Amino acid sequence: MSDFPVFFLHGLAYGGLLFLVSAGLTLVFGMMNVLNFAHAAMYMLGAYFSYTILQMTGQFWLSLMVCPLLLFIIGAVIERFLLRRVHVFGHVHELLLTFGLAYIITEVVKWVWGNFPLAVNVGGFLGGTVEIFGITYPLYRIFIFASAALVGIMMALILYRTRLGIILRAAVNDSEMVNALGFNVPRVFMGVFAFGAALSGFAGVIAGPLLSTYPGMANEILIDAFVVIVVGGFGSLGGAVVASLIIGELQSFGVLLFPKLSLALVYLLMSVVLIIKPSGLFGEKQ
Amino acid sequence: MIAKKNRPYLFIAFLFALGAVMPVLLRQYHLNMLTEIIVFALYAVSYNLLLGYAGLLSFGHAMFFGMGAFTVAVSLIHIPGLSLWGAIGLAIAMTTVVGFVTGGLLLRHKGAYFALLTLAFNALFYAVATKWHTVTGGDDGLSVTRPDLSLGFTTIDMAGLTSFYYFTLVIIGAAIVFCWYFTQTAMGQTVLMMRENEERMKFLGYNTNISRLILFTFTGAVAGLAGAFYTLHFQFCSQSAISVDMTTTVLLMTFVGGTGTFWGPMMGALVYVVLQNYLSDITDRWPLFMGLIFVFMVLFIPGGLTQIIQYVRNLFSGRNGTDKSLAVKEGAS
Repeated sequence: MSDFPVFFLHGLAYGGLLFLVSAGLTLVFGMMNVLNFAHAAMYMLGAYFSYTILQMTGQFWLSLMVCPLLLFIIGAVIERFLLRRVHVFGHVHELLLTFGLAYIITEVVKWVWGNFPLAVNVGGFLGGTVEIFGITYPLYRIFIFASAALVGIMMALILYRTRLGIILRAAVNDSEMVNALGFNVPRVFMGVFAFGAALSGFAGVIAGPLLSTYPGMANEILIDAFVVIVVGGFGSLGGAVVASLIIGELQSFGVLLFPKLSLALVYLLMSVVLIIKPSGLFGEKQ
Repeated sequence: MIAKKNRPYLFIAFLFALGAVMPVLLRQYHLNMLTEIIVFALYAVSYNLLLGYAGLLSFGHAMFFGMGAFTVAVSLIHIPGLSLWGAIGLAIAMTTVVGFVTGGLLLRHKGAYFALLTLAFNALFYAVATKWHTVTGGDDGLSVTRPDLSLGFTTIDMAGLTSFYYFTLVIIGAAIVFCWYFTQTAMGQTVLMMRENEERMKFLGYNTNISRLILFTFTGAVAGLAGAFYTLHFQFCSQSAISVDMTTTVLLMTFVGGTGTFWGPMMGALVYVVLQNYLSDITDRWPLFMGLIFVFMVLFIPGGLTQIIQYVRNLFSGRNGTDKSLAVKEGAS
């Protein structure tokens, strides 16, 4: 098992990326009770925006800052003008709306950027390698894990250590009461949705150089992110951390140990969790 | 004036009569399309029993459709001399078992959780269909030939489209009528009332979990039957039959037709197949239109085509009540 450290690090990197994608998904789901099918499509949009910015300027750090901002605006517009209008009809309509949006975004991406994979190069300092555990390892994958950890810590701090976090958590429990206390709950929800979209854009920028940028990338990660949410527990941030690391490692070592079964392993885990603890590892009982 | 009670029967008889004369009126190409529409109509009706009647939004209905499609294809290839009835029966048996087992796992959750889980399970089935190359043919798919239909006293050659069309019309038509009958039974009414007020149904002594499981299994078996005919119609079965796109297809059909009535989704299937056939000739951006239709309908016409028809009908008859949009609920009384 001389490959062990390499595969372990691969698993960490993929787990980190999975966390970035599913954190936004689980946040929106936990706060607004909206399962956003368009989340992965927005992640893909982030990756393509990043590709264009890299083509024009070659600045990775710039695209890492601009793309989430663009997605934030897109998310805010979607929430304000589309999602809020169907909110009164219940969750079926919200789901269907985001589902339709996912189709539209995917098609627009194919239209604008073409239906083929695009290679993205980070270049510069991040494109190098580093000595770790006695092996030479690409620095970029470690950067992915580090940024995922940073985002996770920041989200936890905001949610549990700030006034804004208190308002958010209160709005989940009783949005009418929070509204009555003088907080603008619709605007809070718009902010949450837009923040989720920004996170997906951030994840997209990160994913670009790791996986290639192509129109199928959305569906590929969407299912994995859903499995993370199911395993970790619906709407639970801590659950998302643990589950995405488990699934990242499972994917990575699955390829090494059982190459034919690697896909099934993830679903197997999901089924086992569902049978033993239907609400997920860290989920509250409904 | 015809008694209101008899109207559905007359409507069913009218549809069958209309279907029976179609081979005389339509050319080969359109008859082909009509067969597809009838198959998808059953698929959409079964889906609407979940979405419209029970209020369960499933993103995994294609696993039953695809399971039925693959069971027919695989059994026709591997079991020599299997009759048409045998293959269809196997498909229904298989999807019933799958529906019962997956339903037991999935139905523990409701609402958006349920939607997410069914999607993940659908992805699991799709992954198996893609990877298990020796049985399902993987990316290449499976080609089959329709066996002859034996009726006991005579055998009908199924190679021609017209004879297969009549076979589809009779069997699928009967299945749709059975679904309609199901909604009128005590079981169907239970499901409907569960959607409205589950707590009260529990209080009245109904075991809502078992009712829901029975409904889920039933709709799975019906979708499996539709899938079986899908394979028989195209004489080909590929992994696309079990993909999430197939679920999206039925969702769109049901939604375009309108979830509020029993007959709406059939209309949705008609519109969908016709639109897809003509739009994909004009443009290769068909999914974009699909997405736009979705968003537009959700925002402006949540009741689907049924809502538009109802509106127009009210306009002509001079009534301005909108109570008809609750036709499903009315059917309960």
